[in-house]
Amino acid sequence: MDELEILKRDWKKKENSFNQVSEKEIYGMLHKTSSSIVKWILIISILEILLWSSITFFTSDDEYFKTLEMYHLNTIMPVITFVNYAVILVFIYLFYKNYKAINTTESVKALMQNILKTRKTVKYYVGYNIGMAVFGFVLVFIFQFLYDPNIRNMIDKVSESMDSNLFILLIIMIYAVIITVFVGVIWLFYKLLYGILMRRLQKNYNELSKIDF
Amino acid sequence: MRTSDEAQFVGLLKENQNIIHKICRLYTTDEDSHKDLFQEITIQLWKAYPNFRGDSKFTTWAYRVGLNTAITLYRKKKKTIDTIEFDSSFHKVKEDDYNYEEEEQLKLLYGAVSELNDIEKALVFLYLEDKDYTEISATLGISEVNARVKMNRVKGKLKKILNP
Repeated sequence: MDELEILKRDWKKKENSFNQVSEKEIYGMLHKTSSSIVKWILIISILEILLWSSITFFTSDDEYFKTLEMYHLNTIMPVITFVNYAVILVFIYLFYKNYKAINTTESVKALMQNILKTRKTVKYYVGYNIGMAVFGFVLVFIFQFLYDPNIRNMIDKVSESMDSNLFILLIIMIYAVIITVFVGVIWLFYKLLYGILMRRLQKNYNELSKIDF
Repeated sequence: MRTSDEAQFVGLLKENQNIIHKICRLYTTDEDSHKDLFQEITIQLWKAYPNFRGDSKFTTWAYRVGLNTAITLYRKKKKTIDTIEFDSSFHKVKEDDYNYEEEEQLKLLYGAVSELNDIEKALVFLYLEDKDYTEISATLGISEVNARVKMNRVKGKLKKILNP
């Protein structure tokens, strides 16, 4: 007998020997798209750290270090930068862990829990980045205000014609506006970047919660 | 919201899931990778579902998408894994009409099939599913002549493995 005929006979015999997959399981599989969303979160966060570090790398010229020295920030700034990158790397690790977890979950319930966890991680990540931006701006402005000779000169000059306290208040207000605008832009950046993915994740979660009867 | 499209798809898939199981049987050698491939094909079918217009049968369409998925995955895998461990217990014949000689032969045959390349496996699969060459060529997107030539080559390969 032809080899393939032997195979075919066995094939037909075993045609209905498969463990059947339930509708619920199929729904679960369809909503595995969460794993691709989480994969994108991971990829974007890595691209982001590459972007920031390359910007830092290319803008860190002599002038930058001279300015840091002038502001008396030349010791603290590298430490802050190092800590910042370490924290971001921890976040990337967490994103990776979430991705792995979502990729290997079998049950709808566990998948939902993992989605919630991922959303929380992203929230903390964005919160951390915005907090860090505010902290960075405030720090630089304070030291600029204290040590930049130009600002000193300006205050001295202006105080001849106007109350110096009022002028300082004015400068602080200008700083506040600048910080608000910049942080606003950063916030918008994250809102756009992660907001879309987070919304999709939420949609997926809502659909899953209807399946989990 | 669970759309009616989704419910319809899940219904169709559940009804015809044996097609996917059978593809998995041929392309995988253990239960875990069977499950993985099943899930991957399900996702690919769902992604392609908007393009399924219903002018062909769901089963015909599922054969095509399922095999393409398996072929693509198998190709990707081949770059990292050179040989596949063949788990004969997975393909074991049921105890009822137990025939030692035939079982040995089947073991060898399934082992031989697992050594075939992605396209050859697809050919064997469609052959086992009683598809004629017109259907085989349409499903795999190759010419009928090409399908016949390839099929003969597969038969030759299997024969050689069984009668060295």
